[in-house]
Amino acid sequence: MATPQRQKLAIITTFWDWRSHANHMGERFLCGYPRDGRWHRPAFDVAGVFVDQSPGQDVSRQRAEECGFTIYSTIAEALRLGTDALAVDGVLLIGEHGDYPANDKGQKLYPRYEFFSQIVDVFRQDGRSVPVFNDKHLSYSFDKAEQMVAAARELDFPLLAGSSLPVTFRLPPLELSLGCHIEEALMIGVGGSDAMDFHALEAMQCMVERRQGGETGVAAVQLIEGDAVWQAGQQGRWSRRLLEGALARSDSRSGIALSDGRPQNLAHSGELEELVEKPAAYFIDYEDGLQATLLMLNGAVQDSTFAARLGGAEGEVVSLQFLLPGAPNVTYSACLMQKAEEMFVTGRAPYPVERTLLTSGMLERCLESKVDGHRRVATPELRVSYQAPAASHFGGAPTD
Amino acid sequence: MMAARRPRVAALVTEYRKYSHGQNIVDRLMGGYGWGSRWHQPELDVVSLYVDQFPESDLSRERETRHDDLRIYPTIAEALTLGGNELDVDGVVLIAEHGVYPKNEQGQTLYPRYEFFRQTVDVFRASGRSVPVFCDKHLSWNWEWAQEMVAISHELDFPFMAGSSVPISRRVPSVDLPWGAETEEIVGVGVGGIDSYDIHTLEGMQSLAERREGGETGVVAVHAMRGDAVWQALDDGAWDAALFEACLCRSFSLKPLDESHRHTYPTREELPQLVGSPPVAYRIEYADGLKGTMFLMEGLVRDITVAARLADREDPLSLLFYLGAGHQMQPNFFNPMCHHIENLIVHGKPPFPIERTLLTTGLSIAGVTSLWQGEKFETPHLDINYQVDESSTFRRA
Repeated sequence: MATPQRQKLAIITTFWDWRSHANHMGERFLCGYPRDGRWHRPAFDVAGVFVDQSPGQDVSRQRAEECGFTIYSTIAEALRLGTDALAVDGVLLIGEHGDYPANDKGQKLYPRYEFFSQIVDVFRQDGRSVPVFNDKHLSYSFDKAEQMVAAARELDFPLLAGSSLPVTFRLPPLELSLGCHIEEALMIGVGGSDAMDFHALEAMQCMVERRQGGETGVAAVQLIEGDAVWQAGQQGRWSRRLLEGALARSDSRSGIALSDGRPQNLAHSGELEELVEKPAAYFIDYEDGLQATLLMLNGAVQDSTFAARLGGAEGEVVSLQFLLPGAPNVTYSACLMQKAEEMFVTGRAPYPVERTLLTSGMLERCLESKVDGHRRVATPELRVSYQAPAASHFGGAPTD
Repeated sequence: MMAARRPRVAALVTEYRKYSHGQNIVDRLMGGYGWGSRWHQPELDVVSLYVDQFPESDLSRERETRHDDLRIYPTIAEALTLGGNELDVDGVVLIAEHGVYPKNEQGQTLYPRYEFFRQTVDVFRASGRSVPVFCDKHLSWNWEWAQEMVAISHELDFPFMAGSSVPISRRVPSVDLPWGAETEEIVGVGVGGIDSYDIHTLEGMQSLAERREGGETGVVAVHAMRGDAVWQALDDGAWDAALFEACLCRSFSLKPLDESHRHTYPTREELPQLVGSPPVAYRIEYADGLKGTMFLMEGLVRDITVAARLADREDPLSLLFYLGAGHQMQPNFFNPMCHHIENLIVHGKPPFPIERTLLTTGLSIAGVTSLWQGEKFETPHLDINYQVDESSTFRRA
């Protein structure tokens, strides 16, 4: 059998040090990664790289020497590899990390849309497009995100985006059946805004999008903070039963678990309210009536968990942890690059970019609610419809 | 109808301090833990505690004041009789791990599991009645004693469960060895030292191996090696290289050579530098021809993985025994153990035959002995036969 032709990749990134997404993701195409019990070496060569910011801790130049790729001073050159036409077979766009300003909503203004526009300009000029993977949300701006998805549709190239949480390992390896009835959903996330709340929102979205009728979009959102979060729980705005379900999947250690080792019944002991430094609740009211809540519970937990009440007579509660194995290897980023590689190889995005489009919009509107008196924000523009993929794409998902 | 009385449990622990096995298990049995999509409160009451050692950090006395039902007794017999004349509990949890105990010249810590067990069955005999017993980790550091413990459990006919949390923990991916599969070779890569941690990887491997075609028929020899001999054996092709690679590729903690975080797969030359302390390998010859190799490679990885070569599959079967993502996490791998302990005591049903742990106890002792003697150790005494059901007992959806 002939050796398959190796293909060329461009990495377009804001910043590349050892702790950056550019490292955790780009390096998978340089070093390979663990996949289904073997060390997988993608049949891709990183050929052209653009790095927007190169402060002292930058390692892209060192890696260029070691691995034989070229760093170009413009995005167009990195895609054309110094020739006069598009010369790569796929693009990794990693606009995360680096020194960029934030807006009044607390969103870091990473230039993903701006980089993407330059990529699309090359596609247009050269009359050819290749698959693009965009790390995390498409843009801090839903308007810009919509334009990105529209451009991909217009030029007919596969676009995959988003967080690693939807594709990382799950404990237990739960996938909701396609077309299931979901009464209510709750996600617990940790970390700051707008870096980590995006991950949690998209993790929640990859679960609820499988509900009956498919995704039809979001009608309104609201973000509340502080004691109002606990009061909303008492008023039934979010479910303590689902909180219990999600926390039952947490392996975090805080409070009494740290002081004397006892497992914590955080949902009912009263300790949660003491431990969480500044709770936040992101309420997502979907067009079809589903209500979902993201609780950011910094101080009490360090992991990401989800629970949903399914329909039917039993009203069964299901739950899971999105497992993020840490250093060394941070294998969840390998899970994400496996999906990017699948797209580069097959020419098809394994799951719809509309998931990330909708999540990008949910986050932006939630943050508008936050800075505008925590009011409810109607979101007619978030009527984003799509169908979830039938297959599961998370790490270690059953394949039979 | 009168409500059935909740089973009462005696816990015998070597020490009860933060994060000791005693604390982790008994606190879960008393206070509950996350299970399924709920906080689970076990349907039993721990009413008595025997504690062998009270370090400054002891928590057992605090727990006695916290739990009205709980009393600490000065002897095992009193913990089992609740100060009366005969057995007065419905189950016994024996946790002889952690605490200060001497080591023998072979490097085994002389935890008093057998001694606690003997005192327990003395009460059973005197009372003419026995109740289910759980023994944490292996049975004993001494083969004859381990064998005697199992023999007594059969003689007095009480349900007896023992072993590591590894076989019953979560797995990534969440799979088992297909029941009845023709299995040619199995490899496990784990961490820690001999006698203390080898049992965890051995039990993980055995929980898969025992499902193979023909069931378990025992082990005829163990050849353990340490240091350069392990690398020499690797170069000689002593085990299936694809199985070793599969283990490393299921790990969540495969370390790169430098601190560059480059996420590389180690080269042959890098391996010895990555393994901090000298590596250990136990080469296991099963009676039916199955080949097993257990590695302890602390430094290269921080977790436990296993891979098996099945006759009817091209790719190895491989998985990670998931015990947590780091030291800052709750050791919730004790949750499935407590789930099985509750079943054992409430329903009198051990989840798997005690012979699994008897065999792994024997494998650990054989490995330590082989290392001590510096040669292959024949194990005719490990002629242990047992069969498991098709249903899996690890933690899954």
